[in-house]
Amino acid sequence: MATQANSLSYAGCNFLRQRLVLSTLSGRPVKIRKIRARDDNPGLRDFEASFIRLLDKITNGSRIEINQTGTTLYYQPGLLYGGSVEHDCSVLRGIGYYLESLLCLAPFMKHPLKIVLRGVTNDQVDPSVDVLKATALPLLKQFGIDGESFELKIVRRGMPPGGGGEVVFSCPVRKVLKPIQLTDPGKIKRVRGMAYSVRVSPQMANRIVDSARSILNKFIPDIYIYTDHMKGVNSGKSPGFGLSLVAETTSGTFLSAELASNPQGQGEAVLPEDLGRNCARLLLEEIYRGGCVDSTNQSLALLLMTLGQQDVSKVLLGPLSPYTIEFLRHLKSFFQIMFKIETKPCGEELKGGDKVLMTCVGIGFSNLSKTLK
Amino acid sequence: METKDQKKHRKKNSGPKAEKKKRRHLQDLQLGDEEDARKRNPKAFAVQSAVRMARSFHRTQDLKTKKHHIPVVDRTPLEPPPIVVVVMGPPKVGKSTLIQCLIRNFTRQKLTEIRGPVTIVSGKKRRLTIIECGCDINVMIDLAKVADLVLMLIDASFGFEMETFEFLNICQVHGFPKIMGVLTHLDSFKHNKQLKKTKKRLKHRFWTEVYPGAKLFYLSGMVHGEYQNQEIHNLGRFITVMKFRPLTWQTSHPYILADRMEDLTNPEDIRTNIRCDRKVSLYGYLRGAHLKNKSQIHMPGVGDFAVSDISFLPDPCALPEQQKKRCLNEKEKLVYAPLSGVGGVLYDKDAVYVDLGGSHGFQDEVGPTHELVQSLISTYSTIDAKMASSRMTLFSDSKPLGSEDIDNQGLLMPKEEKQMDLKTGRMRRKAIFGDEDESGDSDEEDDEMSEDDELENGSSDEEAEEEENAEMTDQYMAGKGVKRRKLEELEEDSEMDLPAFADSDDDLERSSAEEGEAEEADESSEEEDSTAGEGGISESKAVGEGSKAGLSPANRQSDHVNLEKSLLMKKAAVLTSDSGHCTAEEAFASEDESEENSSLSAEEEDSENEKTIRKKLSKPSQVSSGQKLGPRNLIDETSDIEDLLKEEEDYKEENNDSKETSGALKWKEDLSRKAAEAFLRQQQAAPNLRKLIYGTVAEDNEEEDGDTREELGGLFRVNQPDRECKHKADSLDCSRFLVEAPHDWDLEEVMNSIRDCFVTGKWEDDKDAAKVLAEDEELYGDFEDLETGDVHKGKSGPDTQNEHIEKELKEEIDPNEEESAKKKHLDKKRKLKEMFDAEYDEGESTYFDDLKGEMQKQAQLNRAEFEDQDDEARVQYEGFRPGMYVRIEIENVPCEFVQNFDPHYPIILGGLGNSEGNVGYVQMRLKKHRWYKKILKSRDPIIFSVGWRRFQTIPLYYIEDHNGRQRLLKYTPQHMHCGAAFWGPITPQGTGFLAIQSVSGVMPDFRIAATGVVLDLDKSIKIVKKLKLTGFPYKIFKNTSFIKGMFNSALEVAKFEGAVIRTVSGIRGQIKKALRAPEGAFRASFEDKLLMSDIVFMRTWYPVSIPAFYNPVTSLLKPVGEKDTWSGMRTTGQLRLAHGVRLKANKDSLYKPILRQKKHFNSLHIPKALQKALPFKNKPKTQAKAGKVPKDRRRPAVIREPHERKILALLDALSTVHSQKMKKAKEQRHLHNKEHFRAKQKEEEEKLKRQKDLRKKLFRIQGQKERKNQKSSLKGAEGQLQ
Repeated sequence: MATQANSLSYAGCNFLRQRLVLSTLSGRPVKIRKIRARDDNPGLRDFEASFIRLLDKITNGSRIEINQTGTTLYYQPGLLYGGSVEHDCSVLRGIGYYLESLLCLAPFMKHPLKIVLRGVTNDQVDPSVDVLKATALPLLKQFGIDGESFELKIVRRGMPPGGGGEVVFSCPVRKVLKPIQLTDPGKIKRVRGMAYSVRVSPQMANRIVDSARSILNKFIPDIYIYTDHMKGVNSGKSPGFGLSLVAETTSGTFLSAELASNPQGQGEAVLPEDLGRNCARLLLEEIYRGGCVDSTNQSLALLLMTLGQQDVSKVLLGPLSPYTIEFLRHLKSFFQIMFKIETKPCGEELKGGDKVLMTCVGIGFSNLSKTLK
Repeated sequence: METKDQKKHRKKNSGPKAEKKKRRHLQDLQLGDEEDARKRNPKAFAVQSAVRMARSFHRTQDLKTKKHHIPVVDRTPLEPPPIVVVVMGPPKVGKSTLIQCLIRNFTRQKLTEIRGPVTIVSGKKRRLTIIECGCDINVMIDLAKVADLVLMLIDASFGFEMETFEFLNICQVHGFPKIMGVLTHLDSFKHNKQLKKTKKRLKHRFWTEVYPGAKLFYLSGMVHGEYQNQEIHNLGRFITVMKFRPLTWQTSHPYILADRMEDLTNPEDIRTNIRCDRKVSLYGYLRGAHLKNKSQIHMPGVGDFAVSDISFLPDPCALPEQQKKRCLNEKEKLVYAPLSGVGGVLYDKDAVYVDLGGSHGFQDEVGPTHELVQSLISTYSTIDAKMASSRMTLFSDSKPLGSEDIDNQGLLMPKEEKQMDLKTGRMRRKAIFGDEDESGDSDEEDDEMSEDDELENGSSDEEAEEEENAEMTDQYMAGKGVKRRKLEELEEDSEMDLPAFADSDDDLERSSAEEGEAEEADESSEEEDSTAGEGGISESKAVGEGSKAGLSPANRQSDHVNLEKSLLMKKAAVLTSDSGHCTAEEAFASEDESEENSSLSAEEEDSENEKTIRKKLSKPSQVSSGQKLGPRNLIDETSDIEDLLKEEEDYKEENNDSKETSGALKWKEDLSRKAAEAFLRQQQAAPNLRKLIYGTVAEDNEEEDGDTREELGGLFRVNQPDRECKHKADSLDCSRFLVEAPHDWDLEEVMNSIRDCFVTGKWEDDKDAAKVLAEDEELYGDFEDLETGDVHKGKSGPDTQNEHIEKELKEEIDPNEEESAKKKHLDKKRKLKEMFDAEYDEGESTYFDDLKGEMQKQAQLNRAEFEDQDDEARVQYEGFRPGMYVRIEIENVPCEFVQNFDPHYPIILGGLGNSEGNVGYVQMRLKKHRWYKKILKSRDPIIFSVGWRRFQTIPLYYIEDHNGRQRLLKYTPQHMHCGAAFWGPITPQGTGFLAIQSVSGVMPDFRIAATGVVLDLDKSIKIVKKLKLTGFPYKIFKNTSFIKGMFNSALEVAKFEGAVIRTVSGIRGQIKKALRAPEGAFRASFEDKLLMSDIVFMRTWYPVSIPAFYNPVTSLLKPVGEKDTWSGMRTTGQLRLAHGVRLKANKDSLYKPILRQKKHFNSLHIPKALQKALPFKNKPKTQAKAGKVPKDRRRPAVIREPHERKILALLDALSTVHSQKMKKAKEQRHLHNKEHFRAKQKEEEEKLKRQKDLRKKLFRIQGQKERKNQKSSLKGAEGQLQ
């Protein structure tokens, strides 16, 4: 069939998730070559294999071919199926690694997705589950993905390297998405946060909170940082602590920052005070970047804009992250869509750095998996 | 006689006289002037019944809501594509005549033969594409999918034909376009009454099919083989004012009804293999949704393709530009039908086309195109004759060439092409491509030649030549003389109005400098061609670039220097890409340089200009002197450009910080830091952002060097990001945006930089609550009471008051101030009105209104967003928008498509959405059409029409049981929906479809077999059929039996342990465990004891697989004249019939005469013990019937003596008397009793009454007493209180 003809080819393991997710949504097969071909340990890593397995679980009729050494991957997407799924994520990466892709795919399943993910909930590399819950979910709501069953629940916390966390994510399905016009980020009216500690003294969380507040109080008085100390079976397998901060604006934009302690046995011990302060500074950096969408969720917002109806969507972003830039290129190759990019210089106003206004016309995507009753 | 002729008096119903009369009448009735009955007689309209009122209100609300449609975003473009009018009808009904009449009505032109779609301008804002639809079901299906309006022609003398109904049903399935019936052949009716009756009958039948009240048009008769002008005019009016509702499929998919086709295949490939896959370009208006480049399309009747290139062309049949006048003038009444050989002058990428306007079109227009057309119209000899006689000089000193020479050179076009040419009567661009692969010399030569050919064929390249001439230097004029002479030769053949043309052109050209510039661009593109030929490299890309530049001449700025610079830059780009020895890096450098060009020193720019001028001078000579001069010039040029490139490279190297020049070690140190810095720089360099992401920039930017940038755009695909990409190909895949260079948030100024991001910071003026309040105060504070004329002043702050005073002072002096005051007043008024509106309209708005408003807002945004950008850039963002005239290139088209091209068959390019090109299992709800005579069988191949496609596939029919199980059906139900599943292309849910058994030939009956809708798409499917496994008991215990024959092994039994089984007689049971022997036997327990004669069975469900058979109907690939004979896979039945294989019937299934044996019943035996126990009633009555009593046992009759008889009679009489007496006495007693009872009752009643009265009295007294008591107690209470 024609499917062979429109297959796309890439080299290298970077942006693997983007490619596979976009391939699934666009129905175009993708071939990825030279995955760590020059590495001492060539081929796909455990966490990537786990991701591919996850894709296999939530789709029906996907064809995945991996060569002997794991350096070449051919993925012919099937239709998104959904339903109740359980998945043990690799502890090399956080659950956020998997969840980010699931957020892109979940609204377009045949059956509403209800997935249990087990692994590392908070680590230093990937956006943590807390942050995604606080920022990505409200973003999806802007696109009309909403309902009672739309939730992300953290059942257990797991820190690297042991993991042992558990998260339940459920999402309703939609046939079409609403276009968005997010051009006014509003002003930050409150800052919320979550200081968590597992298998360490609960006092750690309080110390984090105090130090973070000391910085943020200079800007806004409405700060509340929850402390979350999980015990027993809910605390995972490794000790650790961390902080995630979310700033909410008057127009419903959420900006976030987070930091986690070094995993047990790797690097030096981190003082909770330092962590709190640094995290607060990161939040200020994020505010400096600004925009209507958090820097981790830029790509998600752009994807959902692309998948909208044939209407104009607009969003104001901070500086584009490298991940987003690559994502835009991928969007172009998979959906032939180009964004109109206008830079909005900050000028005299004291509102942080330059912003980017992204505009696009949706491709008129409709959920082909959903059954018509 | 005369009295008969007089008209009867008609009472006036309107006008002053009638009004006067009415008033008088009302006055007579003493009703005054009140005309409104409601006011005059309010009582008559008062509410009589609340229930009825409620009902009528309910009804009106129902009717109102029924009219609502779900609001959708209006995505129709500002300049919509022409409306597709499909003229459909059975043969000989008058379709072609109608189209001809319509075209003549709108354009005053007459088309003799109509092939393919004809586009005309029908009004100020509307264009029509008219296309004829025959009776081939393939065509009917395809055209129903793209039609906006269907003119359904019906032969009234014959009545409806099957095709009409078939087409109506096809339309219903694929979204219902507007349908208008047209009755023809009405002149064949002799009697008026019969005509009326027929009209009425047909109208009502039509209404039941379309909708009650659907428009049916009558064309009463023919005049000189054409319909009556007035009727056609009316029909045309109907069409031009018609409104359309958007159809789901059409608005969500882009599509093109191609009106032109070109074969672009390399002739060499065709020569080596005549059946090689072709590359074709198709032209047409884009309709429906936006089409993106490189997207998937489907051509019904051919197959799936990917768009290899797409470009938009100037509209060949444009709407009039200014809309001042009431109606179109003759010049604006365009018609465009390339397949029928009609159209305007049309330039495109690789050819120029001319067509002749009507014989009296453009009369008052004096322009180059117009003259050209005029000159062409007025030629007398035919094209062929001219072709034969024409001579052309390639070089100034060579002998002229004739057409026969060309033939001798073996430059003959492919045969099928020629056929097509003859039909369309136009010179195809074939010739240009014909020599592309040969040496550059011949290319050059050929270019010239084709130009001349076209010139003589009446194409407009001549015009191009002329315009070139205008730009020529003196030097060139000498060369031109030859051509000029030749032209004049040609003109001698034609009319004498040509001198005007010849004279005027130069002046005209000189005056219109802009066009000249455009021509320059054209020239440059020509040159590119030639250079490419030199290099021996295929230069399609370069050509594309060139033509793009040529196509948008209007966009070019008139500034000469700028333009030339841009041209130069473009040329440089072209050459670098073409010369072949330029690496991607170099290309890169040049592209980079283009940005920095503006920063080049003024001297450099000057030198550049010089160069361009020099080149410009050399160019014409090159063109004119041709072959000999060409190469040298080219070398010059290339060397120039190489120099330039080198310069640029040098410049770049200087610019770059020692990256290349310094040593390797130095180069390596802190690479990551550098990368980070570079990245940050890129981040900060805002305008480059898009370039950073998408590589090239196609649009003209606001930047100063935007112009050059545009010229470079679209050529280089290799870009920096890609290079970067390689570096980080294997790095960490993480979405977090790490902070590279954190700010020091302890510093006050850094902190201040985000101060306003918080609610605690400063707000904008329009959002700051305090400011807004102040403003409102100012606006609403003072107002004027209109009734009293008082002016209330609002509170104003001290400074505003001061201002006021100042203003008053100023007002006297400054008249400008008054204006501003006026403006302010208006502003105030507007704001007040807004307030009022908000207050009074808010309450009315419903959910529906809100939704509609939202959609409207979105539609406005969609329109406004890209409005200010030019098409080149817009196309990048939105895709090609509907309404554009586009050219689509497609590769790997089967050769039959070109070889068997028939312009009568519509070519449709239907865009496919994402993953609509994939295949999978499609489940649909299907119903056999009630007019189709047979039922459909599972696994019989059938042709579906879903989405754009027509294809043959093997469906399975199923029905869903109550528990969701999908059970296979052998046949479709007669009058019920069922499910159907097949393996085929994925089409969005909710798409309608229809099925037909065969598309070939004409079937006697209604052809549409089934219709329905797509429900679900999946990659796997679970349809099951029932499988009954039977076994026989071989050993029976009480409720347990051993059963054999159901399975073959113990393993199988193990799989079914616990399964429910049943006997035919209805005894239920369960499989327990396998037995060792015999193999496959098992133990089962039942609810009752079995008999050895019982049959045990188990009901199982067996999944069936759907054959993966998907065969697109390739009807367009069939030879001309056989396009309606496509036949795919045959059904088993058809195969059996063809090969004479009879079905072997199962012997058991044969019917035999039923022979019934007489049934004998044994006598009923009741055991003695039971008999004894039975009640007598049920006991078997075994006693024999009493026989005849013997005479001796019979008692004798008694015969009495007379005396005895007397005694007996007396006794009888006495007893009678006595009994009578007793009866009487009883009666009397009864009566007495009754009397007594009545008296008693009366007494009782009286007593009761008395008692009641007594009680009443008693109670009253009691009540009074009580009241008294209460009063007293209240008093007492009050007293207490007091």
